[in-house]
Amino acid sequence: MVSGLRCEGVGYTYPDGPKAVDEATLDVERGRLVCIIGPNGAGKSTLLKGMAGLLTMQSGVVTVDGGPVNELDSRERARILAMVPQFLDAIPSLTVESFVLGGRYGHLDAWRRAQGSDHEAVHAALEAADVSDLRDRLLGEVSGGQRQRVLVARALAQEARYLLVDEPTSSLDPEHQLGLFHLLERLAGDGHGVCVVTHDLNLASQFSAEIALMQEGRFVASGPPGEILTPQVLEPVYGEHFRYASWSTGDDAERPVVVPWSER
Amino acid sequence: MNARPLALLLSLLLAGILVASLGVGSTDVVGISDGIQGALAMMGMAEPLEQYQVLVELRVIRILATVGVGAALALSGALLQGVFRNDLASPSIIGVSSGAGLGASLAILVIGGYGPRFMIENAVGFGPVIVTVAALVGAASCAWLVTTLATASGRISVPMLLLVGIAVNAIAAGLLAAIQSWALRDYDVSQALFSWVFGRLEDRSAFQVGLLWSGLLASAAVIPFVALELDLFATGEEDARGLGVNTARVKFLAILAASASAAIAVSVAGQISFIGLVVPHVVRRITTASHRAVLPLCLLAGPVFLAGTELVQRSLLGGSHLQPGVTMSLLGGPFFLFLLVRHRRELRAW
Repeated sequence: MVSGLRCEGVGYTYPDGPKAVDEATLDVERGRLVCIIGPNGAGKSTLLKGMAGLLTMQSGVVTVDGGPVNELDSRERARILAMVPQFLDAIPSLTVESFVLGGRYGHLDAWRRAQGSDHEAVHAALEAADVSDLRDRLLGEVSGGQRQRVLVARALAQEARYLLVDEPTSSLDPEHQLGLFHLLERLAGDGHGVCVVTHDLNLASQFSAEIALMQEGRFVASGPPGEILTPQVLEPVYGEHFRYASWSTGDDAERPVVVPWSER
Repeated sequence: MNARPLALLLSLLLAGILVASLGVGSTDVVGISDGIQGALAMMGMAEPLEQYQVLVELRVIRILATVGVGAALALSGALLQGVFRNDLASPSIIGVSSGAGLGASLAILVIGGYGPRFMIENAVGFGPVIVTVAALVGAASCAWLVTTLATASGRISVPMLLLVGIAVNAIAAGLLAAIQSWALRDYDVSQALFSWVFGRLEDRSAFQVGLLWSGLLASAAVIPFVALELDLFATGEEDARGLGVNTARVKFLAILAASASAAIAVSVAGQISFIGLVVPHVVRRITTASHRAVLPLCLLAGPVFLAGTELVQRSLLGGSHLQPGVTMSLLGGPFFLFLLVRHRRELRAW
């Protein structure tokens, strides 16, 4: 079996809009954390939805472990691919535990009853996302950072092989940003394929095995952080708005640090 | 309150209301034990009553119609409120009520002497069946029209559905008013038209009650396949899809069942509005918002509400009681206003 979540030459155009995704090709192997970066409107979230099977791409093909994503039954798809959305349309009046139980939908029997194994998976997911102590709190009462972790816990409860995460740190303070990326890094270490859309170049630099840079619906570069977060690659896309440095991570090569900077 | 104790309470309440309703009607009062004996005699499980057997049988049919209509409308409202994620949704918004009214009025007009001669001659004796079937066709057509116009590339757009519903309702109401004003010169026909509009639970035929209950059971059969899914809809359709919910199928099933049950209820009993709005709302307030509890509880709470108000007003007003459609509007209108005022802050943001 071919392993990996793969898009090959996929394209998507919104009605009455420009091409959001254009001939985009990307591989997310299990055990790796891949970050997609790019300016606003580059098509990152649209592509992520396409990879999650939530949006049918108009051209090209998205495959997961060798088979097209769109041919999967919806519940089977949810057992393989889990999406962590940036926002929820509404916050349901549920406890954290009941909300995370929603992640088990793809595993329930024909009568949609939760079994012991479902509750065990929920407890393990709450534990892994470090939100066990919140399980009886109402989702509307927890902080933004905690809610982001609860969303990750719900995706973990799906016991999917691939996690697709849309801008998880945009509303988090630095401590929670790091905590969340540590969690995603650990999940990749456990054998998940993790794909994260983010605007935070430095978190991408620190935690990802590969960074893919998107511009106007296309991937213009991809590779290890040291090859992507350079003036030669970033400036054609973002302009000359950065100062560059590097920081040793101790175990391996140095990781680049990119600071947005404006000359006055 | 937990769902199970509430279900038990509603069941006991419904049983009490039904037994009491056997005794109360527009004519003689029958004792409770006689009422039960008469009802059992209909199933061959007791000796028929000497004096009141026919009366009790008519009341049993009326009670079956009342319970079926209450359950069907409440279920329909609960399903629609779940699909639209909006507490203000009700069966009338998808055009079911006005469509049924239009179908029934056309049928009354045709049978009442304004149709082609062969139709009038052949309709003799089949009046209730023809009016019911015409109402059902009208309700289903309007629901189909509204949902089709609101569907783009295989997906039902909820805001579009609400807007198309308003437009189709306005068109149907205009046609209905035209029929009514045109028929005003004919006393018998206009009386038949208006009596249907006010809703009617008495004198229903076995055909109508059979149709009502078959439709209700078929619609209730979707509950296990949409209840949890509608709970997962709460965070948005895309989020539900991400969890593995086949949202297109759930919306189709829920809207189909909601349209069918409301259409059949309205085609049998005329326009009885607001049950579909009020009952699911109250059930959600009293217990949880989970559709796994709300949908089955509405099957009990709808009949309790409709049969209960019928019993109360029959006991108080006797022969001069109001038509059920009128009572429900008198109670439901202020309740709707109350809901709007309560939700004022959210509604301003629209």
